Amino acid sequence: MAETHSLQDMRQQAAITAKVFIQRDYSSGTMCQFQTKFPSELENRIDKQQFEETVRALNNMYAEAEKLGSQSYIEGCLACLTAYTVFLCMETHYEKVLKKIAKYIQEQNDKIYAPRGLLLTDPIERGLRVVSYNFVSIQTEQIEHFSVLFFLIRAHSR
Amino acid sequence: MPGFSSGGVGGGVGGVASAPPRPFRPSRYVPVSAATTFLVGATTLFFCFTCPWLSEHFSSVIPIYNAVIFLFTLANFCMATFMDPGIFPRAEEDEDKEDDFRAPLYKTVEIKGIQVRMKWCSTCRFYRPPRCSHCSVCDNCVEDFDHHCPWVNNCIGRRNYRYFFLFLLSLTTHIMNVFGFGLVYVLHHQQELDTPGAAVTMGVMCVAGLFFVPVAGLTGFHIVLVARGRTTNEQVTGKFRGGVNPFTNGCLRNITHVLCSSQAPRYIGRWRGRQMVEVQPPFLRPALTEAQLEAKVLDNGIQNDRHSTRSKSSLDQMESQSADAEAPPPPKPELRYPGLPRADTEESSLLTEAPPTPSMYKYRPTFNSPGRNHTALTHPNKMIRGESLDSPSPSILQSSRQPSYRSEPSSLDGTTVVGGGVGVRRGGGERGEGPGGPGGTAGGVLGGMSGYSLTGRSYTSYPSSLVLSTGGSHSSSLRSAHTAHNPLATLHSEGTTDTSYKSLANQTPRNGSLSYDSLLTPSESPEFESTEVVSPSTPLQGYTSPFLSAQIAQQREGQLLQGSATFSSPHKAYLRAVSPPLPSSAGPLETHHLLQHNQDFSSRPPRNPSSSSSSPGARLLEPPVSPPPRGLSLGKSLSTSRPVLANHTTSKPGGGVKKVTGVGGTTYEISV
Repeated sequence: MAETHSLQDMRQQAAITAKVFIQRDYSSGTMCQFQTKFPSELENRIDKQQFEETVRALNNMYAEAEKLGSQSYIEGCLACLTAYTVFLCMETHYEKVLKKIAKYIQEQNDKIYAPRGLLLTDPIERGLRVVSYNFVSIQTEQIEHFSVLFFLIRAHSR
Repeated sequence: MPGFSSGGVGGGVGGVASAPPRPFRPSRYVPVSAATTFLVGATTLFFCFTCPWLSEHFSSVIPIYNAVIFLFTLANFCMATFMDPGIFPRAEEDEDKEDDFRAPLYKTVEIKGIQVRMKWCSTCRFYRPPRCSHCSVCDNCVEDFDHHCPWVNNCIGRRNYRYFFLFLLSLTTHIMNVFGFGLVYVLHHQQELDTPGAAVTMGVMCVAGLFFVPVAGLTGFHIVLVARGRTTNEQVTGKFRGGVNPFTNGCLRNITHVLCSSQAPRYIGRWRGRQMVEVQPPFLRPALTEAQLEAKVLDNGIQNDRHSTRSKSSLDQMESQSADAEAPPPPKPELRYPGLPRADTEESSLLTEAPPTPSMYKYRPTFNSPGRNHTALTHPNKMIRGESLDSPSPSILQSSRQPSYRSEPSSLDGTTVVGGGVGVRRGGGERGEGPGGPGGTAGGVLGGMSGYSLTGRSYTSYPSSLVLSTGGSHSSSLRSAHTAHNPLATLHSEGTTDTSYKSLANQTPRNGSLSYDSLLTPSESPEFESTEVVSPSTPLQGYTSPFLSAQIAQQREGQLLQGSATFSSPHKAYLRAVSPPLPSSAGPLETHHLLQHNQDFSSRPPRNPSSSSSSPGARLLEPPVSPPPRGLSLGKSLSTSRPVLANHTTSKPGGGVKKVTGVGGTTYEISV
C-alpha cells in the first residue's frame, strides 16, 4: 500500500506578468504611427535609444505600407481590370509589408527583447491601435500526477 | 454573407481574432435582396431583349460595353457587400484595465494642430481612434467609418469605401447606359410597342429611371465627400462645419488616397501566429521604481465581464453613430466585482479582531494598518530581492534535496493570499493599487519559485521569476523568503510543499479556466481528482490575473469569518494560524506555528484533518492543476499531506465536522 508513485514533470512555461502599451501617434492624421515616447515602465529594461529605434523602424515600415506609390496604383488598376479576382492570387502591398513587419518584430524579439525578458507584440493583432511590450517570466513547474497518491493517502487515513 | 462581412466567427478558433457573433435578423436582408434582384434582374432582361437588336442594328460593341460595365458594377457591389469594412477586434481585458475603471469618456488628441476627441467605446473597450465609429447595426467599431449601407447590408469603412464609391459610380453609369440604350430601342420600335421586347425594355427603363435619381444623388454626394476628404458620418454630424478638417490633404491627394491606396489589412479573422520566442534566464534585473508599478497588467480572468459589457450594446445604441450623444460612462467598478463589497466589510471586521495573520490585508491600504502596508509597498524592491536571492537560496538548496519531504504548504498560502489581497483591492476599485496587482501575482510567482527551489531543481529559473516582480507586495514575499530562513528550513525538513506556490504559478498562464461557481463551492472536490495534469499552457498565453484568486480568497475570507464565528477559540486560533503567513516578520513564526499545527492535527485522527492547508484551496484555484499538496508527500511524511486528502475524501463532513474554507483558500474540517 505504501507505494509512492509520483510522476513529476518539469515544465517550463513562459508567463506574462505585465504589459506596457504604446499608443498610436495621431499627430499627423490617421496614418499608422506609434508614439516614440519612452514609457517609464521600460526604464530599466531597455535603452531609450533601442526603444526609439524599434518604434521608428515600425513607423517607417507602416508609412511604406500606406504610401501612395506606383505599386499601389498598379495594383489598384489591375484589381479593377480583373474584377478584383487578382486578390485571390496575389498579396496586396500592405500585406507584404505587414509580413516584413512581423519578421522584423520577431527578429527584434529574438535579438534584443527576449534576453531581457520582454516581448514585443505585433500591433496588427490589436487592430494597429497599440504596440505592447509584454514582460515575460519563465516558471518551472512540477506537475504531479496524483491519482495513485490519492488512494494511498486515503487508505492511510483510514 | 453578412456574417462574412462582419467577421462573425465565434472567436478563438485557432487563434483567429474575430468579432463576436450576432443574432440572425431577416429584416436586414430585405434591402440588399431587393437591390440585388433589381440589379441583376433588370440587367438580365436588358441583355436578353434589348441587346440583340442593338448589336445587330448598331454594333456588337454595345452589349460588350454594357456587359463590362455591368460586371464592374457587380464586382464592386460584391466587394462592398462582403468585404470587412475595417472592424476593430475587441480590446482584450489586459489592455483596458486601467481605462475602464476610471476612464474619462473622451480623450483628446491633437491632429495637425486640431483637437479631436476620441470617445471611449464601452462595447469594444478602447478609445475609438479618430474617424472610427461604432456601428449599432453591426455592433462593431469600424475604422474610418462612413455609414452603414442597408442596400449592401454592410458598414462602409476604410477597407471597402473604395469599392462602395466605385459601385456608386459604376451603377450610375450602368443605369444611364440601360436607360439610354433602352430609349434608343424604344424610339426605333415606336410602332411595335406591344411586342414583348419593347414592353420589357420599357419596363426596364422605368426601373432604371426610378433608381437613377437616388443613386445619382448619392454618387454626387460621395464625389463631394471624397474631394473634401470627409466621411458621411462627419458630414452628417456636422463635425467640421465651419471648422477645419484635419484629415484632408487637398482634393487631388484625397481622391488618390481613396482610389489608389493599397488595400488596407483586415484586423479580424487574422491568423495569429504564436510568437515563439526563446526567453532565457537570467533576465536583467531592474530596480523597479514606484513608477514602474503603474504598469498596466493582467486581466482578471473573469468571463462575466465581457458579457456584461456587451450587453450594454443597447446603451451603445443610444450613441448613434451620427451624434456624439452622451453615452454611458465606462462601467463602474461595482459592476465588475459584485461579490467584493460584501467581502470587504467582512475582512475589515476580521482585521480589527485578529492579529496580522491574513497577509492579504496588507495590500489594501484602506483596510490595513498604515504601517504594515506602508512597509510592504514602499520597501525598495531591489534591495530586498537582492538579499533574499542570495541568502536563503543556498541554504534552501542544501536542505532541499529530498523531494519527498513535502507536507502541507499552508505556510505557502502566502502567495495565494497575496494574489487574493491584490484582487480584493482591485475589486474595491482602488485604482492606486495598481502595483499590488502585478505585485501580487509576481509575489505568487516568486513564492512559487522559492518553493521550487526547495526541491533544488528550478534554481536557475528562480532569479528569472524575480525579475518580473513588479510590485511592492512581492518585496514582502521576498522578505519572507529572506527572513523566513529558519522556518523554511523547518518547513523543508518536514516536507515542505511548494504546491501552493506552484499552483499560483501555474495559475498565471491560465486564463479564465475557472468559474466563480467552481471556486465558491469547495465541496466540488471530485473535479479536482479528475484533473490530474496541468495542461501545459502554450508559452505566452494569456495569463490569469490574481484578481480571480483574489476574489476567491475574498469569498473564503467571508466563509472564514463565518467559520470563526461559530467555532470555539482553539479552532479560531487554529484558523488564524492556518491562514497564510504574512510576508513580514510575523510570517515565519506563523509558518512555523502552522507546521506544528499540521503535525498536531495529523496526529489526531478523530479530529479529522482540519488542516488541509492550501491544498484544497490551491486546488480550488485551479482545477486543471493536479491538486498540488496531495502528490507531494512522497512516502515519507505523509502525516501532513494526508490530512489534505482525507479532507478531500470526506467532502461531506460527517456529523460534528464542519468544513470551512478559510483565508488564502485553505479548507479544513473542524470537528465541532
